[in-house]
Amino acid sequence: MRTAATAPTSRRDGRSLDPRAKLYLLLLANLMLFFHVGLATQATMIALFLAPMLVAGRVRMAARFAVLYAAMTALGLLDPDALGVPQLHVVSALAVGASMMLPCFATGAYAFTTTSASAFVCAMRRMRVPEAVVVPCVVIIRFFPTILEDYRRIREAMALRGIATGAFAWVRHPARSLEYVVVPLLMNATNVAQDLSVAALTKGLGRDGVHTSRTTIRMRAADWLAMAACTLPLALDAAGVI
Amino acid sequence: MDAVDARNVSFRYGQADDAPALESVSLGVAPGECVVLCGASGCGKTTFTRVVNGLAPSFFRGTLSGDVLTCGLDAARVPIDRLTPLVGSVFQNPKTQYFNANTTDELAFPCENMGMDAAEINRRVADAAGRFGVTDLLDRGIFRLSGGQKQRVAMAAAVVLGPRLVVLDEPTGNLDAQAIDAMRDLVVRMKADGVSVLVAEHRLAWLNGVADRYAVFDAGRIVREYPADEFLALSPDHVAAMGLRTLDPEPCRRAVARLAAVPAEGDGPDGRTALLRTRDLVVGHGRGRRRAFSRTVPDLSLARGEIVGLMGRNGTGKTTLVRTLTGLAGPLSGRIELDGRTARPRDLMRAGFMVMQDVNYQLFSDSVREELMIGSDADDADACARCDRVLADLDLPRLADRHPMSLSGGQKQRVAIGSALMCGKDLIVLDEPTSGLDRFHMEQVGRLLRRLAQRGRAVLVVTHDEELAAGWCDRVIDLEAARG
Repeated sequence: MRTAATAPTSRRDGRSLDPRAKLYLLLLANLMLFFHVGLATQATMIALFLAPMLVAGRVRMAARFAVLYAAMTALGLLDPDALGVPQLHVVSALAVGASMMLPCFATGAYAFTTTSASAFVCAMRRMRVPEAVVVPCVVIIRFFPTILEDYRRIREAMALRGIATGAFAWVRHPARSLEYVVVPLLMNATNVAQDLSVAALTKGLGRDGVHTSRTTIRMRAADWLAMAACTLPLALDAAGVI
Repeated sequence: MDAVDARNVSFRYGQADDAPALESVSLGVAPGECVVLCGASGCGKTTFTRVVNGLAPSFFRGTLSGDVLTCGLDAARVPIDRLTPLVGSVFQNPKTQYFNANTTDELAFPCENMGMDAAEINRRVADAAGRFGVTDLLDRGIFRLSGGQKQRVAMAAAVVLGPRLVVLDEPTGNLDAQAIDAMRDLVVRMKADGVSVLVAEHRLAWLNGVADRYAVFDAGRIVREYPADEFLALSPDHVAAMGLRTLDPEPCRRAVARLAAVPAEGDGPDGRTALLRTRDLVVGHGRGRRRAFSRTVPDLSLARGEIVGLMGRNGTGKTTLVRTLTGLAGPLSGRIELDGRTARPRDLMRAGFMVMQDVNYQLFSDSVREELMIGSDADDADACARCDRVLADLDLPRLADRHPMSLSGGQKQRVAIGSALMCGKDLIVLDEPTSGLDRFHMEQVGRLLRRLAQRGRAVLVVTHDEELAAGWCDRVIDLEAARG
């Protein structure tokens, strides 16, 4: 889809799906929860969801999700009574829950890490989403990297003060650890939100009328194919064929 | 038609009982003219820029009286997006004025909001980038750019719609000397295109020869307007008396060069021993093939009771070095000694403290006293006494029960330093403690550094601020020169 106008920025996006297709996959992942699909369907869908990740070059991410899913499924298949450890019921129940949630996280991670903010905004506008929804979404997307960066800084600040930051501290003093992280995080988020709003206002983000986009997005055969391929197992499962 | 025509403008933020931020201010800016608003923090210069670009009272709520015509439009009453194509704005913090993660998208952003088609947008982006020398920065991730590069892209984004006025609100707050020179060139370029420029700024030296007029603000009023030649002829003492930063950077530069030549006091006959010493240190981040940055640091030492400035332009590894010295990052090779013994990152973290540029990250409690008492037992009489001493030492007793977030920037800095003193840290590192500060507050920081040194701490200041370094540092380590 590389036209002269979009060649540079869409190089990375070029190997990933159209944002609308990504949102559709996210929707399917949520429907899977709703329909309580069988194990075979679930595994197939996970494989299908991870394929676009591989195509986009996110091999590590795909591998992590695959391993996590395999581990959760294996734990879920354990029969605690046969093993004689009834306490394991808790673990296997949690594992089943986690493996059901996993498709949502996988498609969500894919959608967010491979879509530029401008492509996402463009997609929303194409779908005729009202500006009142688009603008907050833009701001939220803009916020994620900032919050991640802030979180790292805060952890460092805590380390310098000798405030424990490891996993152990979270287990021992969950409320206190949360407070130490969340308070500065929110304080900064407020400042950042104000600065961003000001910058956006002066650049006309809130303007009435048509907003265009330099980034062009287009549904290609691959997008339709991915959507169809992922719909099929779910539809068959829901219809009771599988 | 004037780009700005403000008559008798008064503005009050929020509640009516607050002191007015502006009081009967009248100022005009002619086409192609560059006017500088100067004065101490809180004097009203930033508020004036907000009134001009329409942010006050539409975003920053308050009551406005008087008339503001910005490019012929009534700035207080027209919707702010009517001003978008006429007025470009650049703000202080390069980190938070970007909406897109990609530089080209950021330049295109105002055009997209104006509803231009893709071909027109690309033409304008290429044009603005070409004229403002950021073509080589196009299609880059914003998070990978230095502060100076971000600010240059922000300048290009401000002119992409071809505005008649550009409003700059402390645009150099976080920049090094080279980046500031680049900003100067961009302002010259704007003026040459007939664009009017309104700058609110603490650092004034970079505007010499570019500014046509200076308006000195105090307590919400313009106390005096000077044509450029008259203003630049003012004596340094007169400028200082108005609370302004220096107009002539040369004496400071010479002083910094002198300080950079001062040798470190080693374990010499004077008996002062180094607290910290590095040997063949290489700092950086990333390992193996993913090595992103590495830099060999010449051996350096820091003694108790000494204020050392760490200077050099962005990207020379100042931040990475101080992160390594405080144990936040491990050295890639070489070693660091504390009191003559090789120290692991964990030891360094225990001995050192860093006051971050954004001090908000380091305050965790709901009162100043509690903040200092983190990690100590509130029933421990000894710790409480120590806390009182630290509070008194930093002029904080009055604020002991205030919420840290309700304090001013300088007060927050002092609280963070107090927390370091409570932890018994020997090395205090400050990262750009004076960025965006006026003369008075800069000197306040300088005095604080001196007090820390007198209490036997080793003080290391990472700074671009030549006035701070010249006035308060005992010596300067110039990482850039050292690289040579």
